[in-house]
Amino acid sequence: MNPLIFTTILMTVLLGTMIVMMSSHWLMIWIGFEMNLLAIIPILMKKYNPRTMEASTKYFLTQATASMLLMMAIIINLMHSGQWTITKVFNPTASIIMTSALAMKLGLTPFHFWVPEVTQGISLTSGLILLTWQKLAPMSILYQISPSINLNILLTMAVLSILVGGWGGLNQTQLRKIMAYSSIAHMGWMTAVLVYNPTLTMLNMLIYIMMTLTMFMLFIHSSSTTTLSLSHTWNKTPLTTTLILITLLSMGGLPPLSGFMPKWMIIQELTKNSSIILPTLMAIMALLNLYFYMRLTYSTSLTMFPSTNNMKMKWQFETKRITLLPPLIVMSSLLLPLTPMLSILD
Amino acid sequence: MMTYIVFILSVIFVVSFVGFSSKPSPIYGGLVLIVSGGVGCGIIMNFGGSFLGLMVFLIYLGGMLVVFGYTTAMATEQYPEVWVSNTTVMGVFLLGLLMEVMLVLYVLKSEEVGVVFKFSGVGDWAIYDTGDSGVFSEEIMGVAALYSYGVWVVIVTGWSLLVGVLVILEVTRGD
Repeated sequence: MNPLIFTTILMTVLLGTMIVMMSSHWLMIWIGFEMNLLAIIPILMKKYNPRTMEASTKYFLTQATASMLLMMAIIINLMHSGQWTITKVFNPTASIIMTSALAMKLGLTPFHFWVPEVTQGISLTSGLILLTWQKLAPMSILYQISPSINLNILLTMAVLSILVGGWGGLNQTQLRKIMAYSSIAHMGWMTAVLVYNPTLTMLNMLIYIMMTLTMFMLFIHSSSTTTLSLSHTWNKTPLTTTLILITLLSMGGLPPLSGFMPKWMIIQELTKNSSIILPTLMAIMALLNLYFYMRLTYSTSLTMFPSTNNMKMKWQFETKRITLLPPLIVMSSLLLPLTPMLSILD
Repeated sequence: MMTYIVFILSVIFVVSFVGFSSKPSPIYGGLVLIVSGGVGCGIIMNFGGSFLGLMVFLIYLGGMLVVFGYTTAMATEQYPEVWVSNTTVMGVFLLGLLMEVMLVLYVLKSEEVGVVFKFSGVGDWAIYDTGDSGVFSEEIMGVAALYSYGVWVVIVTGWSLLVGVLVILEVTRGD
């Protein structure tokens, strides 16, 4: 793609999300979502093969439907309250429709079906933008309308997302689909605590974005899109095998690593609000997630996965320069001791 | 009939939307788009928005749709699809018509139009007479306000349209 056009389109994606996060008028928020969707389509279609076209079409159709539902909720809100400011959604119908629209944009169950297919059809860098940057805008709107969200609908969608994210990822060997299911599960964790303490949603979003950025950059560094090609990293760059191990275990939520922080805080916040069964279920279903992360680490770092003999004798080592990889790796694994700093967020 | 004129126009509006969203060939889609543009202009004018109705005819139908018609005429195929030529298109069109007929019957049976919202009279489109600067209508003031208080909206919309053109060119460019 022409570099000038590519830069313009990428900046428009950023501008769209910024408009969504900055605006106080519902119409501008909708315009921001549409600008974001419009500009990310050519980024998803960077390579011109039928898979990317199909993935971009699926993404466009689902997100456009979600934008239509959002517009309908905005108009119902306008009819019942007569004003366009984003402080509070005044009508329960509008609130339910808006929650469903934002859940479609995020990829929560029962609207999760597009996430693995779209992520699988596009290149690794586009998948990175899709799974991290595109989650910021809908999550910021959910944060802003969190006092008026119907608790039952959101919690149902959250728990089902954690279940689907864990269960659906069990049979996958393609790395992009694994990351997609991991994204569904993490979105479930984020929206589960949204009604109780939205600050923790933002904390979980921050740590999730760091960990997903790290994982994708490690995949881009070793140009691997399947479990099999990831298992050859011991031969290409032995250091990244250890880093993949640490980051994957952090994504699974294991204690001494940063991924444990959001899960811990969320479970604590949920139990403070006297719901015991819900966080127990969520923690148990997060084990499904941990299982397929463990399977990846087993084949990549803990064992030398069986491969043909010529794979073991690489003589040409290419090095890609991945921006900010070391700081990201440090942040996605070592942030747990900083948990007491969360008190500044109040 | 005059009391229901807005309702009749809105039914024709929805039917022509169903007509082009059941995906016949684009030239026929443009035909029903002209009808829907004209009818939409009628709906706006019934609420007192004469300026905006004129905008619809001049800019939308007379500018954008003319360019659309020319480009479609350049890219048309030998046997364009009509609503009756393909079973799928006819099926979707009839389904849309059925939904609209059911909605019309539901609205006509109940005495007032109050399905999702309550339509409450003329409202924002009333014409004010302030006395010192003559008669002005709130609708033209809205358009003026778009360029004074709403500069950000104009900038964002203009940028979206520009990026829309860039994106479409990029997507259809291929390899």
